[in-house]
Amino acid sequence: MLEPSTIQQRGFRNVADNGNITGFQVAIRSKYYRGVWLSQLRPATVTVDGEVFSGDQISWTVSGRTVLQSELAQHGNIHWGNAEAAILTVSKAGGLNPGIHDVNVVFWCSASYMPPRIDLRPFGNEPRRMVLVR
Amino acid sequence: MSITRKDFLKASSLVAAGVTLPAVRGDASVQRMPPAQRPGINRGVSLYSYAGEIGVTMTLEDCFADMFDMGAGGLEILANAHIENYPEPSVSWLDSWFELIDRYEIVPVEYGHWVDSRLYPGRELNTEESLESLVRDIKLANRLGFTVMRTKLGVTDEILTPVANWQEFIERALPVAEKYNVRMCPELHQPTALKSAIVDEYVNFIERTGTQHFGLNIDFGVFQLEEGRMMIPGMDNPRSDPEDMIPLLPYTYACHAKFTLMSDDLVDPTHPYEKILKVMREQHWQGYLLSEYEGEGKDIIGHSSDQLRRQHVMMKRYLGEV
Repeated sequence: MLEPSTIQQRGFRNVADNGNITGFQVAIRSKYYRGVWLSQLRPATVTVDGEVFSGDQISWTVSGRTVLQSELAQHGNIHWGNAEAAILTVSKAGGLNPGIHDVNVVFWCSASYMPPRIDLRPFGNEPRRMVLVR
Repeated sequence: MSITRKDFLKASSLVAAGVTLPAVRGDASVQRMPPAQRPGINRGVSLYSYAGEIGVTMTLEDCFADMFDMGAGGLEILANAHIENYPEPSVSWLDSWFELIDRYEIVPVEYGHWVDSRLYPGRELNTEESLESLVRDIKLANRLGFTVMRTKLGVTDEILTPVANWQEFIERALPVAEKYNVRMCPELHQPTALKSAIVDEYVNFIERTGTQHFGLNIDFGVFQLEEGRMMIPGMDNPRSDPEDMIPLLPYTYACHAKFTLMSDDLVDPTHPYEKILKVMREQHWQGYLLSEYEGEGKDIIGHSSDQLRRQHVMMKRYLGEV
């Protein structure tokens, strides 16, 4: 089971490579009523304490596959189902300090069954105060 | 030969486990779920109704238990929302699926899926790609026991005109749908009126091909009163009359019993259910009414269930079940 909010507590932590903290990750669920293929997503922005991260500063991990945001459009065969939290990994040397952070995530999904004028619908944008421990 | 439901379930699990079955069982046409539809008009639920709770405060089993309480065994799922690891569910998930539908007397009726024409930014899927997407879902629908598919096509304008090549890929999918015993049905949804060029085109296609594997799903939102109808800038959104269903019912394999609010005296103030169900009964339509709750408060725990229960009391009344 997932938490009701887009941003999930489980999954929020720094990530390290060979002992060096290279960034942090935040897990999100989709509140869209249906699952989407990665190519139906449009790049997310992640905001932490006012600092905005976007583009290839962020990669998505879904179904065990990790994809840079500039490559999302090519992956029409990786599916993000509603039962799964996607992990957004954000590059930031040194990561975030342990403590309280105000986090927001915004992303977009394409809906081919809607008029092209409203093909893209926004998701997220539910700021959440989060605690990072490590 | 005929197979029992238990045989079917067993065969399905073995197939999922990669076990080779005797030749006759391995053929998709023999693996069909025995027609479980009862005569007459039956009630069911689209899991879309639980969208605010499923995966958060309700499991698939909770939804089925809720439907059992309502005697509403007909099931619509949205494949990409409700099948874990769609489009390749695990063997353990499939085992659990068959066990749950058996335990709660669920009839898999309609498999909701999309041909997402704008899957890739900046271009439309070609006919081959669309066909591939359809075939994948046809096989999975059959695998899970569904006999109707709510086939949502990509659209090109404000009144939901489907993509130009829809007839090409649907026609090519017809033999596959026949083999796997499913009926692909676009949903007739406002602002599309039942009397419209779009619906005429669907009917002409059915008549031209003579197919029984492409049909219609009527969403009762087309009958919604002015209050509550979708507002589209610069566009009419004409209300259909329940009688407009009559020429379409022979091609209609499932309906979305759309509602947005049930009152405390158990009526739907904005959809004319009494008249809709009167027309369907007079026409001796057979199939499932699949509730689609599209009102407010879906993320309030228990609210969608409460609304569904109210609607099913109303439908039982109009169907002569009480």
